[in-house]
Amino acid sequence: MMERTERVEQVERDEQDTIIATRNLSRTYTMGKMQMTALNRVTLDVRRGEFAAIMGKSGSGKSTLLHQLGLLDTPTEGEIVIDEVEISGLSESEKTIFRLEKFGYVFQEYAILPEMTALENVYLPAMALGLSREEYVTKGMDALEKVGLAERADHRPREMSGGEQQRVAIARALINKPKILFADEPTANLDSASSRQILELFRALNRDIGQTILMVTHELEDADIVDRVIWLADGEVVDREG
Amino acid sequence: MTSTTTELKVSAFLAYKFIAKGNRGTTLLTILIMALAFVNLMFTTSVFDGMGDATENQVIDTLYSNIVIEPKDEEIYINNPDSVVKKIINVPGVIGTSAQYVTGATIAYKEKSGAWNIRAVDPDDERMVSLVPDMMIEGEYLSKYDRREIIIGKEIAGGHGGSLEHTSLGGVVVGDTVEVAFTNGVRREYRVKGIFDTNFFQSNHLAYITKKEMESVLGIHDMASQILVKTDTKGDEGRFLNQFVELGVHEDIKPWPVYAGIVATLTKSFDALNALTGAIGFFVAGVTIFIVIYVSTVSKRRQMGILRAIGIKESIIVRSYIFQAVFYAVCGCIAGLVIMFAILVPHFIKHPMVFPMGNVTLLIEQKAAITRSAGLIISAAIAGFLPSWRAVRETILDAIWGD
Repeated sequence: MMERTERVEQVERDEQDTIIATRNLSRTYTMGKMQMTALNRVTLDVRRGEFAAIMGKSGSGKSTLLHQLGLLDTPTEGEIVIDEVEISGLSESEKTIFRLEKFGYVFQEYAILPEMTALENVYLPAMALGLSREEYVTKGMDALEKVGLAERADHRPREMSGGEQQRVAIARALINKPKILFADEPTANLDSASSRQILELFRALNRDIGQTILMVTHELEDADIVDRVIWLADGEVVDREG
Repeated sequence: MTSTTTELKVSAFLAYKFIAKGNRGTTLLTILIMALAFVNLMFTTSVFDGMGDATENQVIDTLYSNIVIEPKDEEIYINNPDSVVKKIINVPGVIGTSAQYVTGATIAYKEKSGAWNIRAVDPDDERMVSLVPDMMIEGEYLSKYDRREIIIGKEIAGGHGGSLEHTSLGGVVVGDTVEVAFTNGVRREYRVKGIFDTNFFQSNHLAYITKKEMESVLGIHDMASQILVKTDTKGDEGRFLNQFVELGVHEDIKPWPVYAGIVATLTKSFDALNALTGAIGFFVAGVTIFIVIYVSTVSKRRQMGILRAIGIKESIIVRSYIFQAVFYAVCGCIAGLVIMFAILVPHFIKHPMVFPMGNVTLLIEQKAAITRSAGLIISAAIAGFLPSWRAVRETILDAIWGD
């Protein structure tokens, strides 16, 4: 009886620790008369504070999975629970607010606005949350400090290197203290030195503030820096790369 | 901060950044296009308003002055017009009066003749209410004691490029003698003392003799067919009418628009033309802004996708494009007004357009400028809304990574 109670408590602890849970998640695209399955009944859990990589060959469904979990796309079937919220019950506008409050994104392309300075790019999501100017500027500077670009706050993207622009994008992703940071091949356009810097920054954020990070990458050596690799092949989770 | 205030603030911030830090050449070009769209909307209206204003001024300056006092319906003449004039001449705002006879007559010169109206005036009084004395192109105006002398409009004289040359006397010059047959059967010969040109075909069909001369023709004394009253402002003649009645004027008192049927006809036609050209102008301006914003949204499609991905609401993005379009339109209206007031209005003052109602310059009415500005801004807001709303309808993935 005692043994059973401990098991139940362990399961409950595990459930509380789980920030992302998917059950039988599928995404099928219709192209003319063809049906193409990009994800097939994917079931996985990601724990709070975990730094996980999604890896697999090109076309294996890595980005598609990240888009479903990041609420950028809607799955054809299956269930996603994020931070104890069942996502299929959310309207589009609720998903937008959910993304603003709980997620941070870093894209392969730097994806920052060329018309704004580094600081303005970073504080935009905080401004959209309704913070006062003093609050969002302070938080923006803190975020830039974290990525080592405080002295570049007033520079515009065209005055910065690719690696610096990606770090601005990371600072923007961090400003609202997101529950999950999604990164879609964040180093694909960077040289090896800048790539290393970005990955070390992710590692430090994960280690120092317990940031949950889910990153799509096709670089095998990135597996060494993450806690766990979720391998995908033909839209399904597999034990190792096939 | 309320969510609406926050959304407005973020929309304004995005719009400001896109305009201020975007491509300066594109911004200036867009504003120039808006300015030209505004000028296009305003120009035709200003010409029509200028024509209406010119016609009104001609009616006042060369035909009826501001107010006309006429005999009551059953009467032919106003008895003792001086007593009427004495009642009103000291009313503040009344500048001058001219009691006069008006009668039809046939004027003949050599083999040609025609029927025109002859006005008989006191030349000194007439100078207070009419600009005709200043518009002599040949000879000179009447003097108080002139007898058997007449001045005629260029449409009667002929030979001065009038619009109805074939009905004129065919080229009368100063010094010629014309024969005038009055409606009471009296025929008299008159020496042409002067020929005038008001640039207005209606007043160019008039002839003038002195009041004393007409009284000798009609065999009456101290009467008048009408009294013209000049006031210091145009457009508020109504305020004098009650005052005149209170001062004991029992005749019919009418403001100039009652006689300006031509103005009403022109205004009605111009309003219809204005509405048509305005509708087309708004449509063209709207399509122009739509294209400008559409090109902008297409080029910023990925950026809009990223903004949505990071949690910026669609409504904030759409509103930022509406703000941009409204900004372009407001700047366009201001630039358009500058073009109108600094270039076009001075140009047409220097080189007026010549129409049958006189020289026409552009008249920019405040009401027209406000309604057209408002129309252009609303068109811009709609044209800013449609393409951005359409752009945020597509999925985030299509916006960021689509073709």
